[in-house]
Amino acid sequence: MLSMTFPVLIHGAMVCLLSPFFLGVIAKVKAFFSGKVGPSILQPYFDLAKLFRKKCVYSGTATWIFRAAPVVILAVMLVLSLMVPFGRFKAPVQFSGDILLAVSLLALSRFFMILAALDTGSSFEGMGASREAFFSCLSELALFMNFITLALLTKSISLSQMIGADIPMSWEGLEPAVFLVVASFFIVLLAENCRIPVDDPETHLELTMIHEVMILDHSGVDLAYMLYAAAMKLFIFSGILVSIIIPVRTGDPVMDMAIFLGGMTGLSVLVGIVESSMARLRLNRVRLLLLVSFALAFFGLIVTLWRA
Amino acid sequence: MEKILLGSWAVPFGEFSFKLDPLSLVFLIAITTLILCAGVYGFGYMRPYRGKKPLGMHAFFYLILALALVLIVTANNVILFLGAWEVMTLSTFFLIIFNDEKSPVRKAGFIYLIASHCATFFLFLMFFLMAHAAGSMDFDVMARSDFSPALAGTIFLLSLIGFGVKAGFLPTHIWLPYAHPEAPSHISAVLSGIVIKMGIYGICRVLWIMRVLPNWCGYVLLMIGVLSGIMGVLYALGQHELKKLLAYHSIENIGIIALGLGAGLLGRSHQVPFLAVLGFGGGLLHVLNHALFKGLLFLGAGSVIQKTHSGEMDHLGGLAKTLPVTSVLFMVGALSICGLPLFNGFIGEFIIYFGLFQGLLGLPLHGVIFCSLGILSLALMGALALACFSKVYGTIFLGKPRTGLKGSSHASLKEAGDLSGKSTAQESACREETSKWMLIPMMVLAGLCVWIGLVPRTVTGFTFFGGAYLAHVDLSTIPLEQVLMPLTMVIRMAFLFLALILGLIMIRRLLLGKAPMPIRETWSCGFAQVSSRFQYTSASFARLIVELMKNALLLRRHGGQVAGVFPGKTQLSSSVHDASEEMIFGPGLAFLNDFSKKLGHSRIRYTQIYLMYILLFLIFLLVWKLK
Repeated sequence: MLSMTFPVLIHGAMVCLLSPFFLGVIAKVKAFFSGKVGPSILQPYFDLAKLFRKKCVYSGTATWIFRAAPVVILAVMLVLSLMVPFGRFKAPVQFSGDILLAVSLLALSRFFMILAALDTGSSFEGMGASREAFFSCLSELALFMNFITLALLTKSISLSQMIGADIPMSWEGLEPAVFLVVASFFIVLLAENCRIPVDDPETHLELTMIHEVMILDHSGVDLAYMLYAAAMKLFIFSGILVSIIIPVRTGDPVMDMAIFLGGMTGLSVLVGIVESSMARLRLNRVRLLLLVSFALAFFGLIVTLWRA
Repeated sequence: MEKILLGSWAVPFGEFSFKLDPLSLVFLIAITTLILCAGVYGFGYMRPYRGKKPLGMHAFFYLILALALVLIVTANNVILFLGAWEVMTLSTFFLIIFNDEKSPVRKAGFIYLIASHCATFFLFLMFFLMAHAAGSMDFDVMARSDFSPALAGTIFLLSLIGFGVKAGFLPTHIWLPYAHPEAPSHISAVLSGIVIKMGIYGICRVLWIMRVLPNWCGYVLLMIGVLSGIMGVLYALGQHELKKLLAYHSIENIGIIALGLGAGLLGRSHQVPFLAVLGFGGGLLHVLNHALFKGLLFLGAGSVIQKTHSGEMDHLGGLAKTLPVTSVLFMVGALSICGLPLFNGFIGEFIIYFGLFQGLLGLPLHGVIFCSLGILSLALMGALALACFSKVYGTIFLGKPRTGLKGSSHASLKEAGDLSGKSTAQESACREETSKWMLIPMMVLAGLCVWIGLVPRTVTGFTFFGGAYLAHVDLSTIPLEQVLMPLTMVIRMAFLFLALILGLIMIRRLLLGKAPMPIRETWSCGFAQVSSRFQYTSASFARLIVELMKNALLLRRHGGQVAGVFPGKTQLSSSVHDASEEMIFGPGLAFLNDFSKKLGHSRIRYTQIYLMYILLFLIFLLVWKLK
């Protein structure tokens, strides 16, 4: 029993404790590129701590769904954190077909996010909800395309098998499909986590946003739940991508963990560089970006089928 | 495994022969559950009509329909089957035209009747070919005989047309969006939950009889599933009327079922029995699930319409406050139909996905391509259904009421047109929940949705049994634990998820304390004069997706142009039109009409000449026979 619970706790605690850190890294990189000192790298922790101490304010229009959404979304991310492998470290919960559960749990969190936005009756939040619903259709398509390619490459449909142990073998033969999957998944990561070419997390104009506008009416503990869940989502997606990319396995747990965390920091720096070097895309071009991601994944599948 | 009951029946070629087998079992469960729930609901729903309409007749046809449905899934004889099939079609027709004083209702009824009978023609042809080749009218004898590949292919295509019209496969689905909205809501629930499934049952029966089908049949069925599924949900996204939207969602779900059956057929014809059982079993499970959650959604829609007298989503809003219980039950239905975890829709889709992924690893190259296509379209359908139901739920139950829809001013909008009593009575009725006759059946259906979602082994047993029966394999040879183990893990994670939700609620309580939270207005970016009509409507919510697909959906917009420096009032309306209705059936039927008119001109008005034609034909026959 102890041997079962220990990895669960370690895995969960890592996601819980480290996820805001990488938001801090991204902010620091962006500050560096704009020539500022920027807030402390631990600023996301301070923000969350502040919000957890605050009370909530509710709209008179909102119903129980508005209050339920943050809880559901955070619970989804906590469950997901047990299903994602970290490099060499397999997820504590793994079974054949766990990707299907993972994707539909993400869909569940999205459903509640959209409903909470519509619950306020605000037209701005309606806009955000509509965009979220649209873009997620395209990014989910790209995500599944990548999963098909990975399933064909590894002959498995469990996340820990697909991206844990076997992918570095493919790097040895320089499997071109893996390049395409990585590129496509990176775009999905940016879109799903509302990073810059798709959505600007720092803008203050409600009209142009997706994620930030949907949580416009949340406050206090509810907002803290939402932001914490968003940080975890970024961690989970980055974890998957880094697990695909890491080219070596040393066999030493400490070394491997250091490599994994180094990879995560590197990915956060990369996201920060992307955010500093380009502007947010016009809204009607975002779908083209997501279709590019789909096309990359599609070529990945073709390459895989051709080499098989 | 199967049981045949015989009785004497003085009908030529007919035999009073019934068969109970794993396939009819799955459908019987769906039929009995939904017929019972919808019947109890109808008791409450029809109460306002008491004394104004012949309710006895309605109940009579409802019971006749129930009998016919049971006969269809148990019949073992072609004549018995076709007889029950006709009884089902006719009784459904009379149930649809309950409000027959309105012309749209009559039109919907006629479209249904004509579509059904055109389809029955293909059924006659198909059964004739089958009976001719097998030398018997009994299904179990047919199943034991061999069919040549060409004949099997022809029969398969005929069954796709004949049963596909009833099921609502894509180009022939046009009767559904007419009939479902115009029928009383409990009838829509039965129509969508069961009657269209009889088409699926027919196809399953043919697949069972034809042990060996050419390889292309699986691909065709899979492609029909993909097409119906994606187009169905896209059309649903473009709808503004609640029950019409649900009708298009039925087409989507029929697509998912066909996708599952197609995957099963691929597995059967490529000798991958695991895929065959998963595909067929997943499809059959989705038949049952869809009956439950779509029944629930239509009944919920009925409660909304009975309270507000409108199914126009853009007129509604904020109903979660006036109909709290209905809104929760509708939420269960919405979460199930989107295939989200904890609910039954997810279990069915999980098995189909699992089967398709198995197909990726086990089939030859073209099978892999079609399986990837199936997986991608299931993913797209899931995401679009989520968009669609967040739109439905958000516009109807959340936010603020968009129009002052209460009392007599709007009562003429929907089916209860003549029922608008005194406006004060209506207004007080608007604040109350629906009657318990209508709530209890919905609670039963919602409970079953959650039950299957959390304890799927209660139903996977007999759906896999049915799947193995269709696949013609022995269930004990299938490594079923490979899919049941992950399913158990899924359920464990679901309970962990529920526990986490409880824990997070406790933490939230602890942090927030007991004092009530301040209630303010929704933040509107500093704009003070916010009207409830500023809210995003269902049309604006779906706009991004519908505009991306505007060529397939025939999106039409009128107005909305702003002119001048100080523009005055302007109006914008947009609607989505059915391409197969406007581009295939509209022109096709117009051509047929013209053609038969021209034939009519050429006819001769003398009876004697017709008599001469008959004589000439008889002579021709005589000569032909004598030769």
